[in-house]
Amino acid sequence: MVKSTTKDARDLFHTLRSAYVATPTNLKIIDLYVCFAVFTALIQVAYMALVGSFPFNSFLSGVLSCIGTAVLAVCLRIQVNKENKEFKNLAPERAFADFVLCNLVLHLVIINFLG
Amino acid sequence: MMNLSRSVALISLFLLPLLSFSFSVDNPTDRRVLVLLDDLSLKSSHSIFFNNLKSRGFDLDFKLADDSKLALQRYGQYLFDGLIIFAPSTERLGGSLDSKSIADFVDSGRDLILSADTSASDLIRGIATECGVDFDEDSSAMVIDHTSFSVSDVDGDHTLIAADDLVKSDVILGKAKIEAPVLFRGVAHSLNPTNNLVFKVLSASPSAYSANPSSKLSSPPQLTGSAISLVSVMQARNNARVVISGSLQLFSDRSGVQKAGSQNQYEKSGNEQFVTELSKWVFHERGHLKAGSLVHHRVGETDEPAIYRIKDDLEFSVEIYEWSGKSWEPYVANDVQVQFYMMSPYVLKTLSADKKGLFHTSFKVPDVYGVFQFKVEYEKLGYTTLSLSKQIPVRPYRHNEYERFIPTAYPYYGACFTTMAGFFVFSFVYLYHK
Repeated sequence: MVKSTTKDARDLFHTLRSAYVATPTNLKIIDLYVCFAVFTALIQVAYMALVGSFPFNSFLSGVLSCIGTAVLAVCLRIQVNKENKEFKNLAPERAFADFVLCNLVLHLVIINFLG
Repeated sequence: MMNLSRSVALISLFLLPLLSFSFSVDNPTDRRVLVLLDDLSLKSSHSIFFNNLKSRGFDLDFKLADDSKLALQRYGQYLFDGLIIFAPSTERLGGSLDSKSIADFVDSGRDLILSADTSASDLIRGIATECGVDFDEDSSAMVIDHTSFSVSDVDGDHTLIAADDLVKSDVILGKAKIEAPVLFRGVAHSLNPTNNLVFKVLSASPSAYSANPSSKLSSPPQLTGSAISLVSVMQARNNARVVISGSLQLFSDRSGVQKAGSQNQYEKSGNEQFVTELSKWVFHERGHLKAGSLVHHRVGETDEPAIYRIKDDLEFSVEIYEWSGKSWEPYVANDVQVQFYMMSPYVLKTLSADKKGLFHTSFKVPDVYGVFQFKVEYEKLGYTTLSLSKQIPVRPYRHNEYERFIPTAYPYYGACFTTMAGFFVFSFVYLYHK
């Protein structure tokens, strides 16, 4: 029973990996950006756990800028993915323009809240 | 009507020169002293003490204690600055004097020397009780000491004792050590334990007790040992000084003392020096302090601000002078403290003295805002109490006095700008990748 589960896990991992290699490059770039943003957010949470939450507004501002831009990047990925039936008629340029504008608003708000 | 006002004006003109000789804030030594005696022969038997006072510039006015023309006040002004009562057996004081008027006299800041003796009357005991001193209730009791008596005791009942247990205070007893013991024959008194203004200047040795010397003791004596005080002193809260002694012979002219059990024989007893120094202290020739105003300002400025901010650096100073009998000398001590007080002292610092009487220190205002007081409460044994305070408010930071960037938040600032840079780089890479 145990042996089969480990074999299943390893098979799962291999199928995921081979499927992922097949994704287009632009989606992989977006994935990399999302990982970078989430990683930055995790560093900030670890720092806050260490020193305490004294300038809480700065902490929120830093974490939310990372999470916010990650969320916007995920939205971009959904809209640009050609395999997605829902956004078949949406031009990828329009999706990218939305992404840029939303990020501008996000960073404006973040800098204001940073204090 | 005109006559009355003119006579009042004339009388007040006559009183003016009297007023200029009295003690004042600038010249605190007493000048005019009323001496009440119950027997005018005390003038000669205590001549050394009185002549000493006269040579130091006091105006002594000798009166019998039951003289019907006695008055301490006239038209609301006190005629005397000091009072010496050497009338232990007087039941009633003459004129307008009674124990209440004497209590008012001390309440007005004036000084008193009171001496009881073996036949102390209720009046004298009452005045002493007002000052926190309780004489032995037995009117025939005297202080007896079988180990510290004077060898020159003629009666042989060991009531003339040679006492040397003096209070250790340079300001009360002078810098010179009193070598010879002090002769004492009289009644014992104890101090009221709830009174914290009165203290012993000359106490009896541990082997002394208070009893009737001519009758056998039927029960153990109530007052024994060092609880017996022979001479006590009280400094009231308004800095009036009172000396209460259990023996009139203490002040008299005497000489030659040898304490039983000791090898030393002194030609002169310590009485004269003891009594002289004590009278100097009682009449404010020594130990009288005056403080100038409290001065405080921020470091680097000279003006006194109306309000401080938390965590300001400030400097504080006060001038204290001591009266030397003729002039104000700078006071030098290392135990004057200042408190920065709001319900409890947030800062308590000892002031450092320079030789000119200026006490100063500097400290940081605490991180609490509110209305504070600079308080100097100085109570040293034998010195006048100094109680100074000055109020000053402390405000918190204004909104533009905080630090612009908080150091602990630097990682968050960095994260935000890194994210923005990452977004910028990402958009280029996304658009122009192959």
